[in-house]
Amino acid sequence: MNSRSRYVWAYIMIAPTLLGTVLFWSWPAFYSIYLSFLKSENFGMVNHWVGLANYEKLFKDKEFWKNLGNTLYYMVLFVPLTLVFSTFFAVLLNAKIRGLSAYRVIFFLPQVTMPAAAAMVWVVLFARDYGFINYLLGTHVAWISDTRFAMFALVIVGVWGAIGLNMLLILAGLQGIPKALYEAASIDGAVRFRKFRYITLPLLTPTLFFTTIVLMIGATQVFDSIYLLIGKTNVALPEVRSLVYAYYQNSFVYYDQNYGAAIVDMLLVINLILTGLQFAFQKKWVTYD
Amino acid sequence: MAFRKKAWLSGVGMTVAAALALTGCGSNDSNGGNASSTTNNAAGGNAASASKENVTLTYTIWDQLQQPAMEAIGKEFTAENPNIKVKVEVIPWNDYWTKMSAAAPAGTLPDVFWMHSGQFVKYASGKFLEPITDKVQAGEINMDDYAANLGSIYQLDGQNYAIPKDFDTIGLAYNKELFDQAGVPYPDDTWDYAKLAEAAKQLSQPDKGIYGFAAKMDTQGGYWNDMLANGGSIISADGTKSGYDDPASIEALQARYQMILDKASPSHQQMTDTDSTEMFKSGKIAMIFEGDWRTTDIDGSDIIKGKWNWAPLPKGKAKRGDIINGLGNVMSASGKHKDEAWQFLKFLGSKRAAEITAQMGAAIPAFKDTQAAWVQSKPQLNLQVFIDQAADATPYPAGTKAYPVWFPKESEIMAQAWGGKISIEEGAKQVAAMMNQAIADNK
Amino acid sequence: MENRRQAVERNYNWIIHVVLIAASVVMIIPFGWMILTSFKTVTEATQIPVKIFPSHPDFGSYAKAFEKTDFKHYYLNTAFTALMKTVFPVLFSSMAAYAFARIRFPGRTLLFFVIISVMMVPNPVFYTPQYLLMSKWGLVNSVTALWICALVSPFATFMLRQFFLGISKELEEAAILDGCNPFQTFRYIMLPLVKSALVAIVIIQLLWSWNELQWPLIINSSPDKLTLSSGLATLVSMFSTNYPILMAGALMAVIPMIILFFIFQKKFIEGVAFSAHKG
Repeated sequence: MNSRSRYVWAYIMIAPTLLGTVLFWSWPAFYSIYLSFLKSENFGMVNHWVGLANYEKLFKDKEFWKNLGNTLYYMVLFVPLTLVFSTFFAVLLNAKIRGLSAYRVIFFLPQVTMPAAAAMVWVVLFARDYGFINYLLGTHVAWISDTRFAMFALVIVGVWGAIGLNMLLILAGLQGIPKALYEAASIDGAVRFRKFRYITLPLLTPTLFFTTIVLMIGATQVFDSIYLLIGKTNVALPEVRSLVYAYYQNSFVYYDQNYGAAIVDMLLVINLILTGLQFAFQKKWVTYD
Repeated sequence: MAFRKKAWLSGVGMTVAAALALTGCGSNDSNGGNASSTTNNAAGGNAASASKENVTLTYTIWDQLQQPAMEAIGKEFTAENPNIKVKVEVIPWNDYWTKMSAAAPAGTLPDVFWMHSGQFVKYASGKFLEPITDKVQAGEINMDDYAANLGSIYQLDGQNYAIPKDFDTIGLAYNKELFDQAGVPYPDDTWDYAKLAEAAKQLSQPDKGIYGFAAKMDTQGGYWNDMLANGGSIISADGTKSGYDDPASIEALQARYQMILDKASPSHQQMTDTDSTEMFKSGKIAMIFEGDWRTTDIDGSDIIKGKWNWAPLPKGKAKRGDIINGLGNVMSASGKHKDEAWQFLKFLGSKRAAEITAQMGAAIPAFKDTQAAWVQSKPQLNLQVFIDQAADATPYPAGTKAYPVWFPKESEIMAQAWGGKISIEEGAKQVAAMMNQAIADNK
Repeated sequence: MENRRQAVERNYNWIIHVVLIAASVVMIIPFGWMILTSFKTVTEATQIPVKIFPSHPDFGSYAKAFEKTDFKHYYLNTAFTALMKTVFPVLFSSMAAYAFARIRFPGRTLLFFVIISVMMVPNPVFYTPQYLLMSKWGLVNSVTALWICALVSPFATFMLRQFFLGISKELEEAAILDGCNPFQTFRYIMLPLVKSALVAIVIIQLLWSWNELQWPLIINSSPDKLTLSSGLATLVSMFSTNYPILMAGALMAVIPMIILFFIFQKKFIEGVAFSAHKG
């Protein structure tokens, strides 16, 4: 078969994906940037060019900086906690214990649970007067409607949902470490923690790094749990409102799609930076594969 | 336009009352409208035979409590127009306007749907609603059939867009059992706000989780009434300036908030965890402001059924500040079956539809002479207070393009104040600034 | 000495089990509370002090959630959307992935970059423009709008290409010598070789689609056009803090996926772990 007809086959085979991607994903990505330079009226039926006005408003808007700070704060709490717990349980599960698959299933259950549904039950668990969490802890804290605690409540829900998957990824990384290394160390009489510190952790770094980036990207897009856990009239909303939540509010509740586009384009910038970091370091660690 | 607005703002409350008085709310004459509904039906039947195509209309509402009544109306309409079926859809109030604003520019608004006075100008001026002026002029529908000026709420630049559906006012619901236990006499029309606060304290047993009053953070069913009663305002009569920073408004807001500080009301946090009306329904609240539309819902609670009643709102320094609002039925300008939609819209405005609404206790119908049937739908409750209060009620602060912008933001700011994050005065001033900005941006 | 070490190990195992069981309980509490609350009355659910077990468990809340909202349509729409978002991306992506992995053609690198570049863009960036597109096509508030933008998947294309790259070329060359055209080679030789990756993609697409909230929330409004997750948001708006009804709804929404998970747990865990290697 000549190469020209192979070309034709290739183009036919990529056509649906390519056209679909351009129409449904690439074009909207650029259009979102274009939208941020417009001001629309009458539910978006009339548009006019306003240049950087939306961004000017954005950078002057204290609420935007607060929301950006909230998003980053959530990330800073959520990512390390998820990593620590996931690594901890992965190391425990790596100890060749019985019932591994049962634990795996249980830890994975939150991952297959619809975030909307999970958020709804956490509302009940977190309630001040009749919530199960306060009942267990003997505390009397308004977890989701106290400005000091709402962010932690959100992080707890996030970590609960994320441990299962990340634990598995790290477990896979652990199982990829040659046993011979540990045996050599045992002969030297290295204790468990030191084994972990000097053998496991360095060899696990690529997995952990990769996991961190994925978690960070996910954390910047937190929406479902805020939408359903922290209601619209909750005093703590400004303390936890993320960029995506602000985007949703501005675009679809306050009827300002253009300002919403400017907010979400900032999220794009953050994600590009994170992805750039990932590429840069992935090259560095390519020798581990 | 500003002039027209001012006119109805000042006029509608009084005229509703006058009309109600004239048409005799106390009478039992709920069958009086048969003649007019038959003519309506005949007209409907003729139009239907002209176009025999089978059509299903979507009728979207926001109150699931009224769904059975609206479906009953739909069924009766279909019985007379067999080729037109009606599907009643409920989108809860909290999501309703978000969803409608997404559907409007996409041309996917429902055929017929409920309109609120606050949102009306935005949708009418955007040309998303079908004007019905020519039908009114042709006499297909008579705007004089509806209690006073309710029809005029939905006029813009000389065009009519809606047929009045119902009107609503706010009342004071109270738990008789809790009053009896505390030995406090039931609230009546002599009560003022001082008496309310005093009784609330007497009725409260915070250690048992029982509170005298729910000082909830709510607008129409909450502090708007307080602000008006105290001589303040929500928005200036010409709709150009917020009334939140009026000292009288701030004082009223502070008085309400004080009840939380006095432990005469649950805290905002508690009312975030459990909706205050739900608390009332489970017998934990002695008094609460609510709209007449919650009657069926509250009475459906086994815990307080038979142990509660309605009273008028307390009097304030200036007056009894009750908000009256009228809902309208409108049709989409981009609907596929406008002829059929008009037939249904007309039926919704008929006396028969009003009677179904009234008898099922769904809402106070706008059609003259049908309110009495609503009052009698639950004879054990003093529903008459809602009709009586319409006399000195203030219309819902609507009629501007800015309302849909400031309204959702208002609750966010006030939540900061109610949650104790900022002072009430600070909150009110922030709302005022935000509203004035929204008014300037949406001229 | 060997014996002593084993004994120490066993000791440690005991502690490990205690820790893991405690953690498992914490992981399961929300499910337990969801079930318990759904069988309580509103008063019991908000009782002080906390009442753990309902005194007269019944299915009243389930009946009410089912009656007041359109759960039948939520299920149908969610299942149908998940089906569309699984079948088409797998079909289109595997074709494209094969072509990008195995056929040298002008523009290959550029076109591949065009496709995978959108993976760097967070989903919310697409929503408003996609909404405007749906609006233009008159698809706002339709079941079609739930899945049409996800007919193709850059992510699946990227993942499957990696898999095709890892397959030896010999089989393929034999097929070409036999006179198979590239599509036939793909369909009969290569596709069966990446079956495990396809299963993983099917599971991920299914799970993502089932759980997605924001897009269905934005694009659809009629009760009979909602999915389970956006339907739950409606339930919350409707019943605010009537927790038994909310929990009944939440449980009804998560049960199908949890049952699937128990049946295919190994495939699920592999599939989702695989998805995390996105990018």
